[in-house]
Amino acid sequence: MVGCAAGTMRHGMGKVTKRPGWPSWLLPAVFLLPALAPAAPADEFSFEVAEFARKPYHIGGYAELRPVLFGLDTDAALHHLRFFDRDEGGTTAEYNGRLQFEASLEKGIGRLFARVNTDYSNSYLGESVEAVFYDGYLSLKPSPSLVLEAGKKNLRWGTGYAWNPVAFVDRPKDPDDPELNREGFIVATAEMIRSLAGPLQTFSLAPLVLPVDGDVNDDFGESDHLNFGGRLYVLFRDTDIDLLFLTGGSRGSRYGMDFARNLTSNFEVHGEFALLHDVRKRVIDSAGDIAEQEEDAGSWLLGLRYLTAAETTWIAEYYHNGAGFSREEMENYFTLANRGYEVFQATGDDGLLRRMRDLAEGYGRMNPMRDYLYLRASQKEPFDILYVTPAATAIVNLADGSFSLSPEILYTPVTNLELRLKGSWLNGGSLSEYGEKQNDWRFELRLRYYL
Amino acid sequence: MRILLSLAFSLLLALPVHALDGEALLLQIDRNLNPETYESYRKLVNIEPDGRSREYVLFTVKKGLDKVASLFISPASEKGRSTLRLGDNMWLYMPGVGRPIRITSLQSVVGGVFNNSDILQLDYAAEYNVEKVEETGDGYLLHLRAKSRGVAYDRVRLWADREALLPTRIECLTETDMLIKTLHFREVKDFGGGIVRPSIIETDSPLYQGYRSIMIFAGIRERTLPDEVFTQTFMPNLESLR
Repeated sequence: MVGCAAGTMRHGMGKVTKRPGWPSWLLPAVFLLPALAPAAPADEFSFEVAEFARKPYHIGGYAELRPVLFGLDTDAALHHLRFFDRDEGGTTAEYNGRLQFEASLEKGIGRLFARVNTDYSNSYLGESVEAVFYDGYLSLKPSPSLVLEAGKKNLRWGTGYAWNPVAFVDRPKDPDDPELNREGFIVATAEMIRSLAGPLQTFSLAPLVLPVDGDVNDDFGESDHLNFGGRLYVLFRDTDIDLLFLTGGSRGSRYGMDFARNLTSNFEVHGEFALLHDVRKRVIDSAGDIAEQEEDAGSWLLGLRYLTAAETTWIAEYYHNGAGFSREEMENYFTLANRGYEVFQATGDDGLLRRMRDLAEGYGRMNPMRDYLYLRASQKEPFDILYVTPAATAIVNLADGSFSLSPEILYTPVTNLELRLKGSWLNGGSLSEYGEKQNDWRFELRLRYYL
Repeated sequence: MRILLSLAFSLLLALPVHALDGEALLLQIDRNLNPETYESYRKLVNIEPDGRSREYVLFTVKKGLDKVASLFISPASEKGRSTLRLGDNMWLYMPGVGRPIRITSLQSVVGGVFNNSDILQLDYAAEYNVEKVEETGDGYLLHLRAKSRGVAYDRVRLWADREALLPTRIECLTETDMLIKTLHFREVKDFGGGIVRPSIIETDSPLYQGYRSIMIFAGIRERTLPDEVFTQTFMPNLESLR
């Protein structure tokens, strides 16, 4: 699996006209599941280590069902871009399924690991199935202080929760669901670790190489380059500190540092700083002319986690994305999308709309602008209701004042089963980021069973 | 070393109670509970008022005064997660999230009455000073006070058996003597290698009326490990120690 055609398998299954739903008994059944949870015998607890003996292999993962209902904003620019040639009405439903399967095999100092994610989707676009190798690598551990790895892997640099400006070799997180697994890149790394006495408690050095050639890491950047990077980590006076870099030609060279520290037993602060050279972006001006710009940019993040006496966890982060679009650039984009829709309605000419769609990779990505605030509060087991965690998340675009607000409730009725109910409300004025999203709200249910 | 410590402590016991060296007594209780450097398997059971329960199995390694790491090996939803404690610093590694994140001693990675500080317990002598020792009918009562603000409980009252010098009950308190939880140590068992200690720790709390959490030890043995095992970087590889 290591190094094979970028390690990915993608299969589209075309469109079907039928939209199958799920059985109506499914939801009530989930709420009855707690009755099936094992009751503890009066005072009998058996525990034999042999039951949990280590095996040379491991197979696991999860299966997930996730229906979503979207409330469409039919006046929004991004709605015009996506739905200009079809009428989906005021709402549209999407039925998603996911099977994430992982396996490992160990022998001696070697370990093979693979994680394959298969997504099923049934939406207004029809039915599709896509399977992708998220990870697939060989790991060699000749001693506890040296680990060598090669293959497709997530490195996950950075200390931020919602964003990671120093994650130079990772795909971006979804701030709406930052804990999701993501697809890795094909790399070779070595990690050397030293533990020391004194104020410098831990020291580790992890150089890496990342090739971009043909099908290998073809979506990372410019082809025919061997990129080099690395991470130096120290735990110094109870503070985690990383120094990171990436260079080699596929992307502009970039340098960064991050830190994390507990100020008290319930209060943590963290931050990231990155300097990015030669960042490219395609910008459209008010006349509709597209220019490719290349510039240096600085990005940074400051954040905190705070646990109150009532066991409410607060996470707050401020993110400045120096490579993002300015308010004027975003307004130009939305204005032209709206104009393209007017032209299409008047003449049937969809040329401008299709040009705007081509730019969606930049303008339509998650959080494309420059300054954001993330705020999340979660309450562990309120009112003594065990295994229930309600939470609310707000993401605010500080440039235009638009925001999304997402309340959710997570419940684990029985071991290995998670049930999450989540809503999102998007709000913002005309030509603002969240005001011009294709939907005003969405409501989703996620059932996940760990195998 | 254990024999020397026991001998030294036997000599101390020959002194009158008011002259008892509380710090030496606490050190001996720590050593009787665990070797300074060890590995263990534990099951954590959270029991709800209606009798339903959740179980977690952990593999734990400890070295010296301030290094502990634990790996979840069951259930499937938690498998592969690991926690690391270096003094007052704690991290949680989740395979899906990747990078270890800092956690606090007052949170609980498993829910229930045990918090992270209970699950990643250091030696009591590493976190607490002995303020006072009292002699009770069949043992000792040690009054402990936290050495720093980073410690989960401001004050602890520890009852120890006179013969075995093992804890029988521990009360965890706030600075104002409000009871947070009580740990009950039960069923002393010979784990081999000279380790004889309670195999079950049960806890209840006035803050969680009707809920109980139980920690069951099935295997403890002395084991020497390099310091590099107790680093953030090694957290994804803890399984290889089993």
